[in-house]
Amino acid sequence: MRHVGPLVVVGGGVSAAHAALTLLERGYEVDLWDVGREEVTFPEPAATFHELKRRIARPDTYLLGAELEALIPPAVPELLRYPPARRFLAKPKDPLLNFESDGFAPFASFSKGGLANGWGANALLYDEDDMAEWLVSAADMPPVYRTVCERIPVAAPDADDLSPHLQGLHPTQAPVALTDADRRMYDRYARKRRVLNKEGMVMGLSRLAVVTDPGRPDACDRCDRCLWGCPRDAIYNPHVSTLASCDAYPGYRYVPGRMVLSLVAREGHIKGIRYLDTATGAIREEPCGAVFLAAGALQTGAIFLRTLVRAHPDMSPETDGLMDTAVVKIPFLALEGMGRPADPRAFQFNRLMVGLTGNAPPWPRYLHGELLHLTSLLYHPLIERMPFDSRLSKRLFFTLKSALGVVTLFFPDRIVPGNRQVLADPGSGSDRVRLCYRESADKEAFMRESIGRMRSALWRLGCVPQGAVHSPSGGGIHYAGTVPMGAGPKRCDANGRSNAFSNLYIADGAAFPTLPSKSITLSLAAHATRVARAARI
Amino acid sequence: MTEPLFPLWQVDRREYDAVCAYLGITPRDHIYDALATHLAEAPFRVAAPEGLFGRLAERALTPWTIARLDLATRLFAPGHPIRHVLNGTIALHEVDGDGYPELAAAPTGWRAYASMLKWALGLVLNLALTLPWLSWQGVMHLLRAPFGAVRNNLRGERVLITGVGRGLGRDLMLHCLERGADVVGVVRDRASFERLRDELPARAPLTLVVADLATPGALTEALEAAKLERDTFSIVIASAGVKHDGRSVTSLASVRDTLQVNVLAPVELIEWLVSPRDTDGDARGPRAETTALVLVSSMGRWHGMHHSGGYNASKAALSIWGESFDMEARGASRRRFTVTIVEPGMFASGMTKAAGLGRFLLAPRSRVAATIVSGALAGRSAIRPPFWFALVTWAVCVVGRDFRYRILARARPRESR
Repeated sequence: MRHVGPLVVVGGGVSAAHAALTLLERGYEVDLWDVGREEVTFPEPAATFHELKRRIARPDTYLLGAELEALIPPAVPELLRYPPARRFLAKPKDPLLNFESDGFAPFASFSKGGLANGWGANALLYDEDDMAEWLVSAADMPPVYRTVCERIPVAAPDADDLSPHLQGLHPTQAPVALTDADRRMYDRYARKRRVLNKEGMVMGLSRLAVVTDPGRPDACDRCDRCLWGCPRDAIYNPHVSTLASCDAYPGYRYVPGRMVLSLVAREGHIKGIRYLDTATGAIREEPCGAVFLAAGALQTGAIFLRTLVRAHPDMSPETDGLMDTAVVKIPFLALEGMGRPADPRAFQFNRLMVGLTGNAPPWPRYLHGELLHLTSLLYHPLIERMPFDSRLSKRLFFTLKSALGVVTLFFPDRIVPGNRQVLADPGSGSDRVRLCYRESADKEAFMRESIGRMRSALWRLGCVPQGAVHSPSGGGIHYAGTVPMGAGPKRCDANGRSNAFSNLYIADGAAFPTLPSKSITLSLAAHATRVARAARI
Repeated sequence: MTEPLFPLWQVDRREYDAVCAYLGITPRDHIYDALATHLAEAPFRVAAPEGLFGRLAERALTPWTIARLDLATRLFAPGHPIRHVLNGTIALHEVDGDGYPELAAAPTGWRAYASMLKWALGLVLNLALTLPWLSWQGVMHLLRAPFGAVRNNLRGERVLITGVGRGLGRDLMLHCLERGADVVGVVRDRASFERLRDELPARAPLTLVVADLATPGALTEALEAAKLERDTFSIVIASAGVKHDGRSVTSLASVRDTLQVNVLAPVELIEWLVSPRDTDGDARGPRAETTALVLVSSMGRWHGMHHSGGYNASKAALSIWGESFDMEARGASRRRFTVTIVEPGMFASGMTKAAGLGRFLLAPRSRVAATIVSGALAGRSAIRPPFWFALVTWAVCVVGRDFRYRILARARPRESR
């Protein structure tokens, strides 16, 4: 089928891939417009993280960057910088990054596959409680979640203490193997389960979008290099799988080198797309049919905002919302693990998950967290943060390494006044967008209380928690709510269709009216699938 | 192996070896090279420490100072240069295939507990040594303070220096860069320009201007061409100089050249500086309320010297002209200038050979540079390092020309510099 103009999906990440695939499955012809930079290939696929240091010519350049930009200097409150060898993240000075920050420093990607090139692989689904304020009922979600689980490999246990809170998954893979340190922690949790559950803390095996079936060539071999890029493609990446599935359809056309700036609207209808040709730097326009915005909540919000202001100059040049997952890391020392040798191989990301239950409204009852024992990272910032001289800190750190871990808590968010995207200079025709964000007082109180509860739980688990490291706003990578479901021209309906433009669909997290604590990725895929299925084209 | 450009932040190979021995790891050449490059950029990322810890940062790293400074800075100065050295060393060994297993070697089982007990006792001993040592250093710092506190952090200051290609000018430039200043340096020719550009980190906040000061008007012309905004400089140092050793004081060409470079070029520079500011200059940095002018003269200005091509005469003229300008500047209502006349005696420069006893008597150039910059910012009217040499010079001057002749006639002319 071919319509008034081509049916265009904008973006190259999870949402765009699943929207495009669903539309193709419905029989439509689809153009997918993407900036489409390519991620580099990863060296020495058979080597573990530490083996890699011997096998490549310049491990310092690979692991720390050509200018040692990942070498974290002393007196800096950072524990980790993203590996410079990964190229999917846009650098702060990237000319395409047309955001200004007002209390919000976002991650962005212009690579095929988007931010999912480097996601944490945690595969969770939203439930009724998470979607309490959504226009769409949680009861409508199981069919799309099932489709998504058919497209994305999910490694998860059949049942554990997290199951009541993480329902709906359809595992196709066995859980990833625990390390000895994880096993000791999980055993200790089992012994203390009754008291911990009573206090609202639950623990279970991680639900991960990872291939673990040893019969498959892309199965995880626990090389400890997740953060540096899975060399076997065991971790789900839309670039590798979903977009590759789209390639099988003759009606699919991947169009790289286009960064969409805004849409051309007339009488409430999208007629064309204004985009930057990244090869030439020229700004062009092309006619189109229906448009599915799936460029990530920030870019989608920005495109929508520019479009709205051009179509309705009388409207205030700001979105209704901007949400971010606040991330807090609580490092701990598991006393039982002191003096134990480290596992030579491991899945680098979290093998265990934790949750805090019984949270009071307006927050979801379940607060999600990841529990990770250190296997392979760059340790110099951790050594530098220890309160001793460097020689003692180094010795102590490596003696205690297998006992060290971190709990990462992901805090939900809600739309609050003031947190929004604003056109930086609406009169000038500039495309820059300012990201305005402050944590609300009630969210900060909720965070303090939750951190306290998790620290208490860690003590019960025989761990000594040490401080809490807050990521700066925007550091959580999960953004949402820039064109949320709801009433008014700046919002969309339950099926993602814009209230202002009849053939425009918000197919990514921009449409989420709240941002639950649980990992967003599978729900992004599910939302995109549902929007593409329900679209009346 | 070259000397570190920024010794406040960088370590030489001997110090790196000492750091590795302290950490119990094997030094490696390629890691030293990477560390040296990394630390050479530290001045442009991190503010230099002030006060006691600034003074401690200038000390050479020995096994004793490393152990003391490591613990002391961990407790009281987390951004200190030695923290960057230790952190960088650990980071670079951590990513090395041979370095990591050595770094990560750790006892297991009961040995881990025994080791931790031993380390706890070691920490107590370290504290017992470090805290009294640090207290003693603090007392010494307070006692030294009235005799010339050095200002370490020059962030936000913009400095113009002539003659940065070599000698004291180069040391002044490196000192200012090391302390975080934004520097405009004047070099004599393109070759010096290229050499400095290759030698210094690309990130260094340095603007190089090429001008041969022997050509009248060349300096002003080059500064104008560079579109420098003249009232953004907080320090301006006329350091370039020439000495035609072995040339008679009757050699008109030599004397003319010496006077042009040593006297008239500084006058040109200051005339440019005090003239009304342009409106379309560069926009680096805010306007400086006060500009400290530094004229690098010489102790030789107090006496004559045969076969110097008029060098001592030129320095006498420069010192007296500087004092004259100071009188004018104080009386004027225009922007405030301070004038510091530097009359160095014997220090390790291209004009002095450091041999034999001289090694002990000569003030290090880097120390002279630090004293000049700090003294200029403090508004001192004259700086004469080392001061013992000034006393000797004045004593020689007081006793009469015949005696001076007998002493100074022994000096044999050297090549032109």
